[in-house]
Amino acid sequence: MSTQQTAGRGAGTAPRPAGGPNGRRPARESFADRLAARLGSNSLIGLFGKLVFLGVVNGMGLYAVSTLLPARAWTPLAVVLIATIAIDVVYLSKRTLPLKFLIPGTIALLVFQVYPVLYTAYIGFTNYGTGNVLTQEQAVGRILATSTRVPEDATRFRSTPLVDDADGTLALLLTDPDGDVFLGTEAGLEPLTDADVAGEGRDITVRERFRPLTLGEAQQREDEVLAFSVPITDADAADLEEGAAADAITVQTFTTAAVSVTALEYDEGTGTILDTTTGLVYEPVMGTYTAEDGSTLRPGFRDVVGFTNYQQVLTSPAIRGPFLRVFVWTFAFAFLSMLTTFVMGLALAMALNDPRIKGRRFTRSLLIIPYALPSFMTALIWRGLLNQSFGPINRMFDWSVPWLSSQAFAGALPKFSILLVNLWLGFGYMFLINTGALQAIPSDLTEAARVDGASGWQAFRNVTLPLLLVAVGPLLIASFAFNFNNFNVVYLLTGGGPPIGGTPTPAGHTDILISYSYRLAFESGRGQDFGLAAAVSSIIFVLVAVFSYIGFKRTAVLEEIN
Amino acid sequence: MAADPVPLPVPATDHAAVRDAPGRTAYAPAPKGVRWFKQLGWRYLVALVAVAFALMPVYFVLLASVSPTATLQGSQLIPREVTTANYTRLFEVTPYWTWLGNSLKIAGGAALANMMLSAMAAYAFSRLRFKGRRVGLLTILLVQMFPQLLANVAIFLFLVNVRTYFPAIGFGTQLGLFLVYLGGALGTNTWLMKGFFDTVPTDLDESARVDGATHGQIFVKIILPLSAPILVVAGLLSFIFLFNEFILASILLGQDDGNQTLATGLYRFIDQNYGQQWGPFTAGALIGSLPTLLLFLFGQRWIVSGLTSGSVKG
Repeated sequence: MSTQQTAGRGAGTAPRPAGGPNGRRPARESFADRLAARLGSNSLIGLFGKLVFLGVVNGMGLYAVSTLLPARAWTPLAVVLIATIAIDVVYLSKRTLPLKFLIPGTIALLVFQVYPVLYTAYIGFTNYGTGNVLTQEQAVGRILATSTRVPEDATRFRSTPLVDDADGTLALLLTDPDGDVFLGTEAGLEPLTDADVAGEGRDITVRERFRPLTLGEAQQREDEVLAFSVPITDADAADLEEGAAADAITVQTFTTAAVSVTALEYDEGTGTILDTTTGLVYEPVMGTYTAEDGSTLRPGFRDVVGFTNYQQVLTSPAIRGPFLRVFVWTFAFAFLSMLTTFVMGLALAMALNDPRIKGRRFTRSLLIIPYALPSFMTALIWRGLLNQSFGPINRMFDWSVPWLSSQAFAGALPKFSILLVNLWLGFGYMFLINTGALQAIPSDLTEAARVDGASGWQAFRNVTLPLLLVAVGPLLIASFAFNFNNFNVVYLLTGGGPPIGGTPTPAGHTDILISYSYRLAFESGRGQDFGLAAAVSSIIFVLVAVFSYIGFKRTAVLEEIN
Repeated sequence: MAADPVPLPVPATDHAAVRDAPGRTAYAPAPKGVRWFKQLGWRYLVALVAVAFALMPVYFVLLASVSPTATLQGSQLIPREVTTANYTRLFEVTPYWTWLGNSLKIAGGAALANMMLSAMAAYAFSRLRFKGRRVGLLTILLVQMFPQLLANVAIFLFLVNVRTYFPAIGFGTQLGLFLVYLGGALGTNTWLMKGFFDTVPTDLDESARVDGATHGQIFVKIILPLSAPILVVAGLLSFIFLFNEFILASILLGQDDGNQTLATGLYRFIDQNYGQQWGPFTAGALIGSLPTLLLFLFGQRWIVSGLTSGSVKG
């Protein structure tokens, strides 16, 4: 600790008023010193730094307020105001000493850790996910905007989807039954003259701006093209002999479009949507506007659905089955990972803990390398090494073992592979801590046991191991907890696969709860299901909390705080 | 270089490791022949097997990174042909150095900030007595139990919302990821540091206080310099953890190529974007391993003591 000497000395260099004991100052002080003291600093430099810091904080707060106020975002506005004022009060007051040290970390903790946890619990009670992303208000707007019907006698067009290469906006080239040509954009309908159009067929350009979509582009932007609509004004409608009821020209297929009318009406009083063509009334039910006959309107909106997600996880056979498998495997994985790394690390530590062995330090450095390499890389590298067709492990021995993809016996082989890789990743750590712990056990004890006639095994079993477990016990619990959420290894090595057959959710034989939850949220085959994923996360949290509590109780951490 | 794991005065497990007794049995003369093998030889054999197990994949990576074929080479252990093509391809096709820079920037910056935030909190918990102190310490422990990555959905949706008002820190920005990483600052590190600060004699700050120093000055000029070792340990562990972090980075950084960290960027080689290109991937993995590997080898003595006092790698 070479820094030790400089420590005390530095404290004296700061300019400060000569003060007596207990910080009491002489009666005569300059105004600046008094101001500084009033604000809880005893030096002008400290005061200056504090003011700059508060200036920055308040500046950012003001900027945030100026953004949030016009947007009428009341909740974030309140959060920003409270945080800014809290910082000001804490750093300007003399009475909030502990908070001066705690508040930056506390704010980070509240915003990025506590809030997400609570938000997760909340999302678990909603149907947030693909098809239910919007708020109710947005969803109604979207439903009404796209809820058009084509009346039987409507004018129909031949239509070609166009694109503007400059910014990628779409448009339609429309030809009505009379042969008149129009350009339909998001802004409206414009009649075209011969001068506007150049070329023919696939090479046609309109106003030197638009060209037809190629087949590939059309496929890629299929949803956009099919949802494209051109609003029409009353004048347009008169032109097309449609009367004033016409609202838009909507795409029917890639080559046809037709004049359509808005068929849905929103009733603010009852909050329902009426279809004027069929007379059906749609009511909001669990995030979807549903009619009595069961038909629904897309898109849905996010809504609190109560315990549906939890119920699904716990009772729906199609989800509960895979969930239980994942659940059991998560415990098995965490426990076996801990056990195998511990046993191997301990065995190695005991084998190499003989002072007569040369090059112990060098060996130790080599053995720690797997642990020191970033695991996101090594997990991916093992994915290659264990690949069935080109993996070096198989090629070296001329095997064709499906290390990571075998479905047999509930994916026993991939499970084994994951444990093997995790053993490789983790034994260095266990080796290190066991070496440390072994050296902490006085050799007198084992020697005494041997003198008393104990065999080597008995001495180990009854003397060394219990002492060792006292030292590394908490670390074993930590290792278990860590592997319980060891996302990197599972996701990067097998991606959770091979898939369990016949399940509606993406569950794999090697999935652990955290990777399962991640895949539910972000890569489920039927779209994202944030609600279900959050429910799974919440369940994991409860489990982790219970087990940690038991763990902490046993290690008596709770009692040791003083 | 790599010394025995001599723990710092962290009030956790094994002070006694310092008392490692190299002299005790070393006086015995080295045995010979069969006795040699029974006592020592098998230990060398075990070491050899373990080292082979540890280094075999690393060797394959080295091999693949200089191999002209696109796969992980397997059938021959001695390469017939050595090429740097994979490295040049890596640098040509991908913004590799940007990824590495992003990783170092985000992980390094967040580790530094985490270190400062937790040191400040640890100072309050160690030196000040206030209402709610015990509750505060327990709360940190409790919140820490819920791993931040479990809340990935909530964090993702939260940052998507933030983007509508503050595009600079919302979804798809490195600053946003950095801030999210700060959320974990008050955690294990606070406990680790509080334990260490408790071992720094309070006489030092009391005499400084008599001389008129404020708590801020005591913290910056006495506690921090004296606690440099634990600060380094906590900083290194945070850095290694964040450098390795995959799940939040992959969710929050969006799709933009230049925005990725090493973890999410290199993953694309194995995932769909670039097809399974093991050559460039292994080249990138080797270079990308160097920062943590070097930190680990040079800081081994400190890191080991940090690990044995309760932190785990991610």
